[in-house]
Amino acid sequence: MKSAYDVLVVGAGIGGVRAALDLAEAGRKVALIDKRPGIGGLLAKLDNQFPTDHCGMCKMLPLTERDASSQFCMRKGLFHRNIDLMTGSELVSLEGEPGHFQAVINRKSSFVDPTKCIGCGKCAEVCPVRVKDEFNAGLSERPAVHLPIPHSIPNHYVVDLEACQRCWKCFEACPAGAIDFKLEAREQFNILLADPDEKALGQYTKWFEDLKFPFIQTRTGDETLSLLSVDDSVWMLLLDLSIKDMEPERILTRALELRPDLAVIVLGGPNKGEQAKKLVGLGARDFMLHPLKRSTFTPWLDKQYMRIMSDEKASLDVAAVILATGFACYDPSEMSGILGYGELPGVVTSVEFERLLSGSGPTGGRLTRPADGGPVRRIAWIQCVGSRDVKRNADFCSSFCCMASIKEAVLAKRALGKDVETTIYYMDMRTFGRDFDRYRRNAQQMDGVRFIRARPHSVLPDSAHPGDLRLTHMDDQGVMREETYDMAVLAVGARPPASMPALAGAAGIETNAFGFCKTQDLNPGRTSRLGVFAAGSANGAKDIAESLLQSGAAALGASRLVNLFAPIRGRVEEPVPVFRDVSRETPAILALLCRSCPVMEHGPDMDLIRDRIAAMPSVRAVETVERACAKEGWERIRELAAAGKPNRILIGACMPYAYAPRLRELGALIGLNPSLMDVVDIHTPLFSQPAAATPEGQARAGEDILARMSMSAAKLLGADPAPVDKVAPAAPSALVVGGGLAGMTAAIGIADHDYKVTLVEKSDKLGGLAMNLRTTLQGADPAALMEALVDQTMKHPNIRVMTNARVSLSTGRAGRFMSIVSTPEGGVPVEHGAAILATGGKRAKVYDFGFLERKTVLTHQELEDRIATGVLDTAALSTVVMIQCWRSRDATRDYCSRVCCAGAIKNTLRLKEKNPGLRVFILYRDIMSYGFSEEYFTKARKAGALFIRYDLDHKPQVRFDQENRPVVTVHDPVLRRDLEIHADILSLSDGIEPNDVSELSEIFGVPVGPAGFFQEAESKWRPVDFLKQGVFVCGVARGPANMAETIVSAKAAAQRALRILCDKSMAKAVVTAKVRESLCSRCGKCLDVCPYGARTMDIANDRIVVDELACQGCGSCAAVCPNSASYLRGFGDRQVMAVIDASLAGLGRPRTERKPVTMDDAAGS
Amino acid sequence: MSATSEEFQPTIVAFVCNWCTYTAADLAGTARMIQSPNVRLIRMMCTGMVDPKYVIKALLSGADAVLVSGCHPGDCHYINGNYKARRRMKLLKEILPRFGIDERRLKLTWVGASEGNEFAATINEMTRLVRELGPSEAATTMVI
Repeated sequence: MKSAYDVLVVGAGIGGVRAALDLAEAGRKVALIDKRPGIGGLLAKLDNQFPTDHCGMCKMLPLTERDASSQFCMRKGLFHRNIDLMTGSELVSLEGEPGHFQAVINRKSSFVDPTKCIGCGKCAEVCPVRVKDEFNAGLSERPAVHLPIPHSIPNHYVVDLEACQRCWKCFEACPAGAIDFKLEAREQFNILLADPDEKALGQYTKWFEDLKFPFIQTRTGDETLSLLSVDDSVWMLLLDLSIKDMEPERILTRALELRPDLAVIVLGGPNKGEQAKKLVGLGARDFMLHPLKRSTFTPWLDKQYMRIMSDEKASLDVAAVILATGFACYDPSEMSGILGYGELPGVVTSVEFERLLSGSGPTGGRLTRPADGGPVRRIAWIQCVGSRDVKRNADFCSSFCCMASIKEAVLAKRALGKDVETTIYYMDMRTFGRDFDRYRRNAQQMDGVRFIRARPHSVLPDSAHPGDLRLTHMDDQGVMREETYDMAVLAVGARPPASMPALAGAAGIETNAFGFCKTQDLNPGRTSRLGVFAAGSANGAKDIAESLLQSGAAALGASRLVNLFAPIRGRVEEPVPVFRDVSRETPAILALLCRSCPVMEHGPDMDLIRDRIAAMPSVRAVETVERACAKEGWERIRELAAAGKPNRILIGACMPYAYAPRLRELGALIGLNPSLMDVVDIHTPLFSQPAAATPEGQARAGEDILARMSMSAAKLLGADPAPVDKVAPAAPSALVVGGGLAGMTAAIGIADHDYKVTLVEKSDKLGGLAMNLRTTLQGADPAALMEALVDQTMKHPNIRVMTNARVSLSTGRAGRFMSIVSTPEGGVPVEHGAAILATGGKRAKVYDFGFLERKTVLTHQELEDRIATGVLDTAALSTVVMIQCWRSRDATRDYCSRVCCAGAIKNTLRLKEKNPGLRVFILYRDIMSYGFSEEYFTKARKAGALFIRYDLDHKPQVRFDQENRPVVTVHDPVLRRDLEIHADILSLSDGIEPNDVSELSEIFGVPVGPAGFFQEAESKWRPVDFLKQGVFVCGVARGPANMAETIVSAKAAAQRALRILCDKSMAKAVVTAKVRESLCSRCGKCLDVCPYGARTMDIANDRIVVDELACQGCGSCAAVCPNSASYLRGFGDRQVMAVIDASLAGLGRPRTERKPVTMDDAAGS
Repeated sequence: MSATSEEFQPTIVAFVCNWCTYTAADLAGTARMIQSPNVRLIRMMCTGMVDPKYVIKALLSGADAVLVSGCHPGDCHYINGNYKARRRMKLLKEILPRFGIDERRLKLTWVGASEGNEFAATINEMTRLVRELGPSEAATTMVI
């Protein structure tokens, strides 16, 4: 199997999904693979994300050309026209060059044919195996044949072959014949046994007697190879290392030359492990060491056989590859002795805790003491389990756990009530995101979450009260305190996924010291191999927003390559389906009923139901099909739909969600818009009826099914059959406001795709905030990067740079804006399809301590400058004091500036390099060395810098001695006494403030958050979008960020903007709001309620205009309209009323005795 | 809950949002969690588009109760539709008695996509309540 795609995305967690969606929306064809059986990765298990403390994954779905994608909860699944999802698939090799990669994918068989499986679950009922269920983080058990993610679509069962006991009960139980273990083909599976031992053949034949594998034996290497060269019926070679006449390596390589698809299994003596592994490296399939036992060897070899027969390899032609491999959570089992994990039932990991809170979890969301089911009153969180741990090769911060634990504490309060005590034990509370500190403060002050800065040494059982957990920590007064808890949650850190080494080998990329993808410091998407990009958490654990940004940046890199090689590759675009115009036809419904499904055993009288459906208005034909979800059933539906020429199709089956891609395919086949088709779940009523087996229960179920069918029929009849028109093509150019690092990066990203970019900079030269940086924490050279970037921007043929300029007016909508740029030469009109706001920020001013007068007081930034330029004589210094969070994270600025801790550590390391004897004191509140910058924090401490913590109640006091040298007094919580430090230099963290954007915010109609940074549409799921379509934000304008993060967000914003620009003409979505102008009284209520600003009053023509790209179809306008003038396509008043009527039509309740009442009567009743 | 054939089977019309509660209802259905029959699910894009006249229409056409259910506050796919629904339903509850309808026959809840069990519990609880209230007579006494 060989197929061509633009980009291969490895990993279908949210990082991979974001990258795939970004590319797919921009018209790229994407293959999205995941070794797991469903999408969503880790987040499939987590129901709630901060700051909303709910889910919001659906907000990632496309906003323009929405109908290209499924429009429902993403936890259910994702179906996009341009994305082919392949689950259970792994990348095994990647050959070729950027633009021309050949990727080989191993598609592991699930042994259940998805075209036949009807999801009835009979297989799982008979399976005798019970293993831990990964979906519930091991808290519940599942059979070997199981539904991997219970709520996900497609919902086919899969066989976990490793756990399978080979009893074949599921095979026998499957009513659809979907399970195939290739039991019959064994007799043709010739196994060649290369073993000098005479008795071997007899023994193996006896062992495999029941399985009937035909064995042939050869005794020498020569004999083996000559047999292989003539006999091509051999499938497997059992190569025993006791063969003497030839090196096993030689036999293996020659055998594979002769027969590349031959499965070679190496058998060897107990001490031949190394050699066997080497042979596996050379291409052998697997190995097993003597002594072989029948009980283990036969099932093992049989499973090998099943894999060989069932797994498939696919070869994909792609221009670029994106790795979104995410992370695995640390397994604290190795610390069970200390933390009690695995031994004390009350100790759980953070993921397990979230599963316990989840409605789809093992307890249905009821949180009780795991030990005895008693009530949970006190819960402790222990941070940094497996993170910031040098001993366990984890000298990094996992970045997400602090916020996750605060969220879990808040969730626990919500689930169990305010009385539950929640305590978080932490080392540093890393609330480094723009809004994180505020969330923490709310949790502390409003929800009453307790924060204790301490590391409990161990979790111990309470012998007096079984099930209680004892945690001991030392408090600020140096007193050991013991507290008891009902549960302890371990905030486990991130680890690279177990498959990372194999994947890195297959993709030909390097990994870093911790096993994550190695990427460049100032180009975080770029791996060691050109054309292979890192997305999501592949290059280090991140929270959702950062992962999505990283994915956007990776998508831009891949998209650029696709664009570059498009003329050579010449991939044929798939034709856009053309739907016939049925608006002038009389409605003709083809109703299809799925029957004979095994779950319908006790079903109602389907013939009766069929007759009654046939009597419904506009139903032209009713047909029954067998198993609509299986391949044959669907073929039948296709035939009927093609033959009958219906203009509405109504399918009664089960799992309507699973039909989204099929309806799209059917629509393309018969030229009918899928919005005129509907799938109704007619199976659930059968489960719901308390007595489905009784005649009454069946009759009620029948009524229920009929009601559902007639509701859907009413909805289809009321649907607007007029074809959806297209939006005028977008202006092929973008406007970027701000010529700093973010603005230039975004401009180049767009300009490289052959669109024109106007870059507006208010000062007289490009560069912005990043121009002042001399070095980065990792030691990269920002000045060289900035110089190259400015040069590239100025010379780019597609970029027009306007300095000393500002945007003074902007009108229009996504795809076609018209803005006026004021320059010294006068106003310049610019037409653009999208706008990116990269207005950046500035270093906060420091006024304290006579800062400007005293040469001994500096900011981190100035100190960096003086060290780098050599102005500062480091040799002459003896003591330097740095104060962190100066006027940050307090009443002055309630957010963390994110870059100052790295700045202090950076300066410390440079100072210590130059003068190792120098004493450096860093007074901090929480060191925000998130991610891999933790390593430098460790280095700084090793170099001898002293980190002294202070809190807001004990701020450091500064005075100056006679020589104007600063004297800093601070309370040291470790020594529990005040320290007086006489320093040569006092360096203050200056923090980052946003530039004033109030004017721009008004011009573009986009909001500014409480801290003065732009407020994105959704801080987690849409980090660079505004609610207003076509305008994006990146860099420091959206919140403090270092250079690498700025570059990433700029690229992500550019990719989002490209989505608007790339379309020649976008198809409108079916479900959008419309206005019946004859009914509209121009009251303007709909203008106020539209959350997307999609409505404007066209004063010249006296009407309300809907921007159909911006409209997302929420229907708020329709509900608020007093005249029913505003309506949502697909949800018109008449249509909904008809559905309500249909839903209640079959009640059979006496309705004849209606006696009219007056309003007075009613009021009196 | 064991239902006998004589027991009153209330009909509940549920206006559910496409993003959260519809998903939860699907989950509850496939996981066989709902014991109460006669729930008529009407999928809306958002609870913010549930016009009060739909609710009144359903109640006057014979529904014994109406459920409006969407995403949790702060979680609306369309930013703030559920807040609009909350205000609207509160007002609607005030005027339902004017139509001779007990305001308890209208319920507004928030059920997230993964809360299939929550949806089932909501329906089962509503069924119990409506059984107590008895069949709605609004359909027979009021003309629309």
